[in-house]
Amino acid sequence: MGIRFMLCFNKQGVVRLVRWFATSDNSTDPQEEISQIYRLISSRDHKHQCNFFEFSDDTKLVYKRYAGLYFVIGIDITDEEPIYLSHIHLFVEVLDAFFGNVCELDIVFNFYKVYMVMDEMFLGGEIQEVSKDVLLERLSTTDRLE
Amino acid sequence: MVASSLRSFIKDVRGAKTLADERSIITKQSAKIRTKLRDDHLSNEKKRVNIQKLLYLYILGEKTHFGQVESINLIASDNFVDKRLGYLATILLLDESQDLLTLLTNMLNNDLQHPNKYIVALALNTLGCLSSTELARDLYPDVENILQTSNDPYLLRKALQCNAKLIFKDRSLLEIFPLSIISSKLLENPIVCTHGVLLGVCKVLQAIFISLDNTLQKENGKGDTEDESTEQDLQQDITIIRTISDLIPQLSTRLSSLNSKNLEPAYDVQGIQDPFLQCELIVTLKWFFKIGNHLNLDEITQYNNNFNDLLTQLATNTSAAKNPGNAILYEVTKSIFELKLTQPLRVLGINILANFLTPSKNSNTGNNVKYVGLNTLIKVVPEEPASVQRYRKFISQCLYDYDISIKFRALGLTFAIMNEQNLTELTTELVKFLGEISKSHYSYVTSYIDMDDSKDLIVYTVDNLLKKFEIYSNGDEKAKLDTLLTILKISGTFIDLEKTNEFLIALNNMDDMKYKIATFSKELTQILDPKIKANTLIGNASLDLVMIWCIGEYTDLIKLDSSTDKKIVNDNSIVKYLSDLNDKYRLSHDTRMVHYILTAALKLSSKITNGQCVENLRQIIVSHSKDANLMLQTKSVQYELLFNQPDAVKKLFLQAMPKFEKKLINATSVQRHNTTISKAQNQNNDLLLDLLTDTVEKTSPSEVLKPVETKQRDIIADLLASTGNKSQHTGETSTSIPIEVVTLPSDAVSIHDGVELQVYEKTIDISPGLAHLELYIQPKNSKISDIQPLCAVPKTQKLTLSQLRPSNNLDVGKFVKQTLKITGSGKLKLRIKLSFQKDENPASESEQFDYKLDKTI
Repeated sequence: MGIRFMLCFNKQGVVRLVRWFATSDNSTDPQEEISQIYRLISSRDHKHQCNFFEFSDDTKLVYKRYAGLYFVIGIDITDEEPIYLSHIHLFVEVLDAFFGNVCELDIVFNFYKVYMVMDEMFLGGEIQEVSKDVLLERLSTTDRLE
Repeated sequence: MVASSLRSFIKDVRGAKTLADERSIITKQSAKIRTKLRDDHLSNEKKRVNIQKLLYLYILGEKTHFGQVESINLIASDNFVDKRLGYLATILLLDESQDLLTLLTNMLNNDLQHPNKYIVALALNTLGCLSSTELARDLYPDVENILQTSNDPYLLRKALQCNAKLIFKDRSLLEIFPLSIISSKLLENPIVCTHGVLLGVCKVLQAIFISLDNTLQKENGKGDTEDESTEQDLQQDITIIRTISDLIPQLSTRLSSLNSKNLEPAYDVQGIQDPFLQCELIVTLKWFFKIGNHLNLDEITQYNNNFNDLLTQLATNTSAAKNPGNAILYEVTKSIFELKLTQPLRVLGINILANFLTPSKNSNTGNNVKYVGLNTLIKVVPEEPASVQRYRKFISQCLYDYDISIKFRALGLTFAIMNEQNLTELTTELVKFLGEISKSHYSYVTSYIDMDDSKDLIVYTVDNLLKKFEIYSNGDEKAKLDTLLTILKISGTFIDLEKTNEFLIALNNMDDMKYKIATFSKELTQILDPKIKANTLIGNASLDLVMIWCIGEYTDLIKLDSSTDKKIVNDNSIVKYLSDLNDKYRLSHDTRMVHYILTAALKLSSKITNGQCVENLRQIIVSHSKDANLMLQTKSVQYELLFNQPDAVKKLFLQAMPKFEKKLINATSVQRHNTTISKAQNQNNDLLLDLLTDTVEKTSPSEVLKPVETKQRDIIADLLASTGNKSQHTGETSTSIPIEVVTLPSDAVSIHDGVELQVYEKTIDISPGLAHLELYIQPKNSKISDIQPLCAVPKTQKLTLSQLRPSNNLDVGKFVKQTLKITGSGKLKLRIKLSFQKDENPASESEQFDYKLDKTI
């Protein structure tokens, strides 16, 4: 059910965002899991290979590369992949509009704001708002409170 | 100097030149944060900076547990910014299993009732992410209160999502959930009913269904034992489902209008109106019908036809050009097959999925849908095989896709649809595919797939093809043989030798001998023809193996075949080829191949007549008599013994393989196998004993021999098993030897009259340097089994014992014959020890005697 985790790392594998929505019940170290995901994704041909693959017995990964950054969503093995690709795309579009032509450095230095965007879009791993306009309006309101 | 602001800290970490630098910056900063957070007098502003830094450490994967309590404390602040950071840190640093969560209860309780909706939103968000069962129970009333009183879609959607999570945590909350507000408040009021709220409604409904589904499964699991609480739950759930079932028309209308109109640009995603909500609505409706049909609730089943129509509408109206549209179509097909809807809809579903496979799609997006399309098709093939068959072409095209995971799935699907009718067609396709992939494996420049991956693909294909051949064994044998050979030639280098055994079995079991021989004659001609001479150069061990095996099995027939070019294929060239292979594999230390070569050489020796060639074959066998590999060495020595046997004896051993039936080897056949082996083993034992007793030592030789013998027997069993396809062969070969009855010749002399055994001797022939004797052994009182004759001759002589005839088990009055060949010089003297078992009694007995002939050789 829903998104298990969301990750963002660059081509060198430096993690820019981590978010676990569901407590992972397997005993593997999360850091080890992240580097494993990075190794798998970075070795894929992003032009010709599809954006989905099975990561473990219960997790599938949906990822997309935007410039030098990979955005990865982990979902349940029974969930359907294509719609989550749209999740990623919407998230990146909102980030882009919020920061104004977003780049990796925006995410590095304003990671807490990126989390704010994430929390406006997703709740407990489920998408809660899909309108870019609504999202941006909320975000600018809360951003001004700072 | 340790950086003070978050920005400079991040800059420092990024600016670190080496890993060690970075580590030292992080360690220092981490220690600093730890001290600062412990300081109670720290201003909130400073505290915030430190928590932010802590979160950066979290992203870097550092330890952050020491900041957990401080994060929670920050939530208590009245300042919104502090509160927001506190909640964020709590969500990130804590997880649902921690006891610290109880600290949150009060704060969340306060914030959920806060007049500021942004603070309420923060609290809802946190509760949705982190809720233990206790938190869920304690705070549920607050969430419900928001649902009842608020009219703000912003809060409502968050409250709904949060509510869905709480129901997951504790299903008993379902009983107090005010279902009526969904229809009365949320769906009716157009201001309230935004897409976000609808998503929330979908999630709550899904949570209800999933919890019900769990109850149903528990019910099924329980079986007869009536569990009252589950039964009660079930009844309650059914009541709930009945109540919400009148939402079906409303939700269907929403979905239908979302799909057919495209009015609101805010929700437009690549030309599709809010695919997120459309997917959620489909999933929610699917749940309604899944549960409704399962429990046969009229309230739901009455809408079955409407839902079918709706799905048809979605399938026809949704554009498959972009990912969002495909997501919807995919969800539609999933519903069709999960709900096991009518045949026309299933065909529609297959058509959608097959459409995903069309090659016109551009690379990346195209591959995404190909991937999900193939994945789903594999699952639904059993339900609608005929419709999937129609898209064979599309599936085959996916074999050549760039993406390895698509290749694999296309292969899987190809095998899933393979049947007797399309076997030939699909096999041709797969052989072509194998050719392509094997070629790309070697072309480093143009190859786009990993070497290991291409090997996996080949192995997978060959394995499954072999399996299919076995299932559809009635097919055209000629085509099958040709295909097998082609596969071997194309991808033999990738095939495991173990797998090659299956090729051999398939070849061996083929009935059309004439075609088989003609084919191999052609193959041999190609290999042996000095003008072509290409195949031997490539390291295709599997092909070599098959050729070696065929030489051992079929040389006699190949020579007889009219199509064979005797100038190229003759004793000389074949032996030369085998000898070359022997050199090749001896150098490469490929012991498994050498085993086959040895057997082939031995078998071939009984099929050719040219003396020089026979000698060359012997050389091949002898060449391993000092091999470092014990098994090979043993085999070589034993084969040499067999080699020197008279032709008649050899022929019996070296008969062609019987048809091999693939069955589980059961216990009895193993036993039979063992006993026959030990029969063949006898002569070897004797020789060893000969060596041992030669020194005329009386220390019971059979005991000395025991461990060696059993070990040897195992080895022999292994060897024979590995040369044949499976151990069963040996058993069957041996039983095919006609059982002869040995009678005592009239001129035999009694040489021993013991307690259990009577032994006679007959001299066949004595010439200088060579003597042929025969011993006849007869049990006197009881049935004797497992006779082991152990003989010794003087040091100047050498003894060769042949196999015991007819067997080493015999009844009272019957005879068993042992032939002895003595070479050397001097007086003929024998010391004979016969060990045996009486009446199947496992304890071994023995009788020993000396016998002198008044002859000299």
